[in-house]
Amino acid sequence: MLDIKGLLVERGHGPQSHKVRLETLQLQQGEIYAITGESGCGKSTLLEAIGLLLAPQSLARYQLGPEALDVARLLAQDQHPALAAVRSRQLGFVLQNGGLLPFLNVRDNIRLPRRLLGLSSRSDAVDMAIDALRLGPLLDKLPQALSIGERQRVACVRAIAHEPRLLLADEPTAALDPHNARRLFELLLKLVSELGLSALVVSHDWALIDDFGLPRLGAVSGEGETRFEPLV
Amino acid sequence: MNRWYKRLGLLSQLSLADLWHDRKVTLCMAASLVAVIAPLLLLFGLKHGVVSQLQEELLSDPRNIEIKMLSSGHYDSQWMDSLRLQPQVAFAIGQTRSLNTQADLLGERGRFADNVEIIPTQANDPLLKSSLSALQGDQVILSARAAERLGASAGDSVRLRVARRMDDINERGERTLQVRAVLEPTRFARPAAFVSPELLLELEYYRDGYQIAGLGSVTGKPMDGVKVGYARARIYARDIDSVEPLERWLNAQRIETSSRLAEIDSVKAINHVLGLIFGVIAGAALIGCIASLVGAFLANIDRKRRNLAVLRLLGFSSSAVASYVVLQALLLSAVGYLGGLGSYFAGSLLFDHLLGSSQATGTFICHITFWHGLVALLLTFLVAALVALIGALRAIRIQPAESLREL
Repeated sequence: MLDIKGLLVERGHGPQSHKVRLETLQLQQGEIYAITGESGCGKSTLLEAIGLLLAPQSLARYQLGPEALDVARLLAQDQHPALAAVRSRQLGFVLQNGGLLPFLNVRDNIRLPRRLLGLSSRSDAVDMAIDALRLGPLLDKLPQALSIGERQRVACVRAIAHEPRLLLADEPTAALDPHNARRLFELLLKLVSELGLSALVVSHDWALIDDFGLPRLGAVSGEGETRFEPLV
Repeated sequence: MNRWYKRLGLLSQLSLADLWHDRKVTLCMAASLVAVIAPLLLLFGLKHGVVSQLQEELLSDPRNIEIKMLSSGHYDSQWMDSLRLQPQVAFAIGQTRSLNTQADLLGERGRFADNVEIIPTQANDPLLKSSLSALQGDQVILSARAAERLGASAGDSVRLRVARRMDDINERGERTLQVRAVLEPTRFARPAAFVSPELLLELEYYRDGYQIAGLGSVTGKPMDGVKVGYARARIYARDIDSVEPLERWLNAQRIETSSRLAEIDSVKAINHVLGLIFGVIAGAALIGCIASLVGAFLANIDRKRRNLAVLRLLGFSSSAVASYVVLQALLLSAVGYLGGLGSYFAGSLLFDHLLGSSQATGTFICHITFWHGLVALLLTFLVAALVALIGALRAIRIQPAESLREL
């Protein structure tokens, strides 16, 4: 489903530069990995690289989906339009503060990715997610009328609205209280397993990760370099 | 993939929703456009209204495009033809010596008018401005004063009487003329009869002692070998701009002339001065408007940077985000233009109501044409496009990754 080997990204130049390395990562359908590490170790950088927002310095393999789409080749050939297409079609992002558009109501925010891709506005996955996250009563509200927890739930649904292969979440629970954080995590897991996605979730909340028994991609810090390794 | 027009539709929908959601800021930006467009339109409307009214007044009075020859000379029909061929000439007709341009008219029931001016006319005479001015030899058009004295109206007959003294005997020549029309009082103030040029010439020949059958004379010299000659000409320029060159052409032939060039020049000067004032004010206002719009627009884009980055993340290309910004600018300017136009109409109604009615000079003061409105619209879009271009250059650099990072 997701198969990455030999990923190296570099942020900054010269002595201030920081390298982020991921030797190997394999995710199956319905599998979810948590990315953990101290602040500033490069979790977001890793997420940006996997999310095709940042070009890696080197990359041996990056395959996506059952058809094993060769993303590494697109990156090597610098094919921006194709990469942007992969990003908008195959990837779904959950942003820290939701990243909802303030001028669209919840329904239109959720629909936007599908409309943008020219997909039909009906989607069983979306309906299921709306039911599962109990967003039905909120559909006609603007994001500003929602609590932070509600906004994050909407952001989760928007991220899976176009039925992507891979869900990338950047500290989705950072702004939530423990109770809401737990609920959001539950819902995220439920969506991933029911829709058969793969997911990477950046999180500080180690206790939560342990409670749910998620496999971790942990940061091992070295001199000017962070390596991410699956921790067992 | 999605069709481009569907994307454009989605893009317009999003930019509209964004503007509507942010309507306080939208209103501020549209209002800053209205604040420039409305006074400029009003100012231009006043300038255009005043100048066009002055010009219309100039044109409505044919005396303003008339060039008078001050002294008599001798001009043959060849010269008259060359005069008519001048491109600045709208109408020219030969006149006889001033002594011979008077005659007595007799109406029904013994009414008569003595020493009426006899003026030659032809088709397209701007002085008469009537399709009836192409007269036959026995037809006449009377001025209002002359018609009043004679008690004559169109369709009546009047008798033209001219006297001469030959060999110590007083003689009178007479001809019955049919009144074709009576002029409005404003067209010509004095008692006058407009006749064909041939008839006027016959009056002169009669007084010069020739035998003119048309006037019933049996005495006098025969009309053999008499060459047609005129003492002066009644000349009208094609428009107010033609008066000056035409007058120069005449002066070059040592013909002294008088015209209302001074009035024409003063209207032109007023036009020039008002145009200059308007241009400077408009320039200053435009620069201020562009500067304030650019500032507001760039600040707006910075404020919405995260939203634009999210749009990029969801799959909008950088050019789509740039067109999102441009669309918003165009929508804003359309709203601003409509508001400005509305304010202009309200303002011009106020002007016309308060100033137009109290003045005897005219019905309107403030006026713009459809084309002026269109030019204003295009200018507004031009300014908006300029502002949007600067905004789009900034928006195009927004990376989708920015949506992930807290700013």
